[in-house]
Amino acid sequence: MGLAVLLAACGNSGSGTPAPSTGAPIIFGAAVSLTGSQSKEGGLTKQGYDLWLDWINQRGGILVNNAKHPVQIIYEDDQSNANLSATLVEKLITVEKAQFILGPYGSSATASDAIVVEKDGIPMVESNGAAQSIFSHGYKYTFGVLSPANKYLTGVLDMAATLSPKPTTIAMLAANDNFSLEVAKAVADYAPSKGMQIVFNKSYPAAAPDVSGLISQAKAANPDIVMNSGHLAESIAINKAAKQLGLNAKIFAYSVGPSTPDFISALGADANYVYDGSQWTPQVKYRPSFYLSVADYVKAYQKKYNSTEPPDYHVAESTAGCLAFEKAIENAGSLDPSKVRDALAALDVMTFFGEIKFDSRGINIYKPMVVEQIQSGTHYTVFPAAVANGQPQYPTPTWSSR
Amino acid sequence: MSAPGRRQPNWRRRITVSVVALALAFVVLAPLTSLDAAQQAGLPLLTDKLWFRLATTVAMFVVLASGWNIIGGLTGYASFGNVAFFGLGAYTVGVLVANRGWPFPLALLAAPLVAAVFALIVGLPLLRLRGHYFAVATLGVGVAVGEVVNNIGPLGASTGLFLPIVRSDIAFFYLMLGAAVLAVVTTWIILRTRFGYGLLAIRENEEAAAVIGVNTTFYKVAAFCVAAALTGLAGGIFAQWNSFINQENVFAISDNVQMILMAVVGGAGTVLGPVAGAIALELIIQTLAGGGSGAVYSQIGLGVLLAACVIFIPRGVIDFFGGRSRLSLRYFRQTLRETSV
Repeated sequence: MGLAVLLAACGNSGSGTPAPSTGAPIIFGAAVSLTGSQSKEGGLTKQGYDLWLDWINQRGGILVNNAKHPVQIIYEDDQSNANLSATLVEKLITVEKAQFILGPYGSSATASDAIVVEKDGIPMVESNGAAQSIFSHGYKYTFGVLSPANKYLTGVLDMAATLSPKPTTIAMLAANDNFSLEVAKAVADYAPSKGMQIVFNKSYPAAAPDVSGLISQAKAANPDIVMNSGHLAESIAINKAAKQLGLNAKIFAYSVGPSTPDFISALGADANYVYDGSQWTPQVKYRPSFYLSVADYVKAYQKKYNSTEPPDYHVAESTAGCLAFEKAIENAGSLDPSKVRDALAALDVMTFFGEIKFDSRGINIYKPMVVEQIQSGTHYTVFPAAVANGQPQYPTPTWSSR
Repeated sequence: MSAPGRRQPNWRRRITVSVVALALAFVVLAPLTSLDAAQQAGLPLLTDKLWFRLATTVAMFVVLASGWNIIGGLTGYASFGNVAFFGLGAYTVGVLVANRGWPFPLALLAAPLVAAVFALIVGLPLLRLRGHYFAVATLGVGVAVGEVVNNIGPLGASTGLFLPIVRSDIAFFYLMLGAAVLAVVTTWIILRTRFGYGLLAIRENEEAAAVIGVNTTFYKVAAFCVAAALTGLAGGIFAQWNSFINQENVFAISDNVQMILMAVVGGAGTVLGPVAGAIALELIIQTLAGGGSGAVYSQIGLGVLLAACVIFIPRGVIDFFGGRSRLSLRYFRQTLRETSV
């Protein structure tokens, strides 16, 4: 089977140089959203894949049994439609002869694709679906490089436990979508082990326009920590309402909003002191065993995409997915899909993105989430201390004294 | 309403019929070459996994477009909520198989029933509305059912439901093909019964139909239920075939728009129109998908094509190629007059 795929790949390329140390190209397939509602995130995903593609091909490709195999990524546009994504993955495998699949953007597309690769026995590494549900059905061929949802805000509790005076009470406001509820539940389960308790816990419909009622209820509970597990718009609304209603907490931590530039531009100075959990930041200080350092990665990104901004975490996690494949193929010493699958299951490497190692379900539970804080309008990574480039500014001053 | 069908030359009709028959024979027989026995006997593989995926999807949309045609085309009630029946059918199978451990065939029988009962319940009040009011109300139902399902824990909430993977492309293809044949035959039978004439009468003039003794409420609700049952059946098959369902993939309003376009482009109110529309449009959509950097332009092209179809051949592809047309400017001028106010 592996040989047949290899031969087919040979036949397709026609441009491979005849040098003895060069093997047939390895074909990766990726169905990402280049049009439709998720085209922005899909584009970032593609950027991450392409960044690695350039780097690996400059080095001649992936080393398998003393032969360097150049890499090719074939893209298909799923138009942000999960059902279409599954068909395209089937097309990539059947017609384009993709040997390995890089994941799409979005949890629904990832779940649909996971079933296709499971049926076909082709490994997939996905970088953009943090919901754990995909991984609890015994699928053998899907691996995710992200820290799962239940880690999103527990890092903030770890950090809070190191601060003085130690905060002990938490108010949690969660959007009622699956991902946000998973994040909130994990906090509730984890808090007692850090000597903290939840004093207020409410969920609200996603994209709730008015949160002032919730905030005034939360204020009555007088929490040390105000947490939101939701989305950008809600985190902005909560921060505004907290100021208006004078809800003073020692820590404000929101799951996804604050890491985006929009959060700072919408709130100005009121964005300061806010914490968030992030998969990755351009400031982290991991010491990778291969590929680029974090600083070089940021430079490579800025050069290739002619940007002054550092890469978004979507880009970094997508590159990380490629790195998992690269190492696993090298370790397997083979292009056989089931051998590469086993090598992925056994993988344990340190990258610029953090540690990549999968548990028995295929989730990367070994990489911590990092905690960021906005300080004077700039993001600083403040926890874990080993990878941080700043100290938490604690406690958050009261609204009236800012 | 001028040109009668018999003006079509005999040879043209014969060619059309034999091409369709050949295509049909291929679709029914070619998948057999993928069986182990056929492969061992050295037969060429005519259908790979992608073929099965596309063919099953096309067959599914034949069911959806034909189902919509019964309420939208024959009865004249443009429903934007049929996708709710698809989703309910899918979730019926999803819950029974994933949560209750039912065998799939048994669960599949329940899918059209649940969809039809739901159609009965919402049909009684909604079918009192007409025109835009009916369209908007059914759109509301389609969205609302999806949102409700999305918030019910035992239904998997926004995570969705995962069903055990069944590895048989060929079984799901024949199952969906069977559903498509059932949908077409059902339409054919309806059009040849008193029930069908009643529906057509309602479409043309509901008051007049009532005056000549058609029990309009009963007829409309019955048509809605039949449409729902067919659509729910397709949803049920989809659930097990795809092994993963959530609000996004079984309650997509875009699917509802797609089934309407297919029926309308193919020829609403006819037996084979929705079939032609589903095959043509789904193949175009699937071909355009993935097209790399040109994807945006090809989607614009699809939009223009659809607009042109609706303006110039409002009676559908079936009428254009098989009916009174002689590919003349006169045909376009005439249809343009018919559709303009």
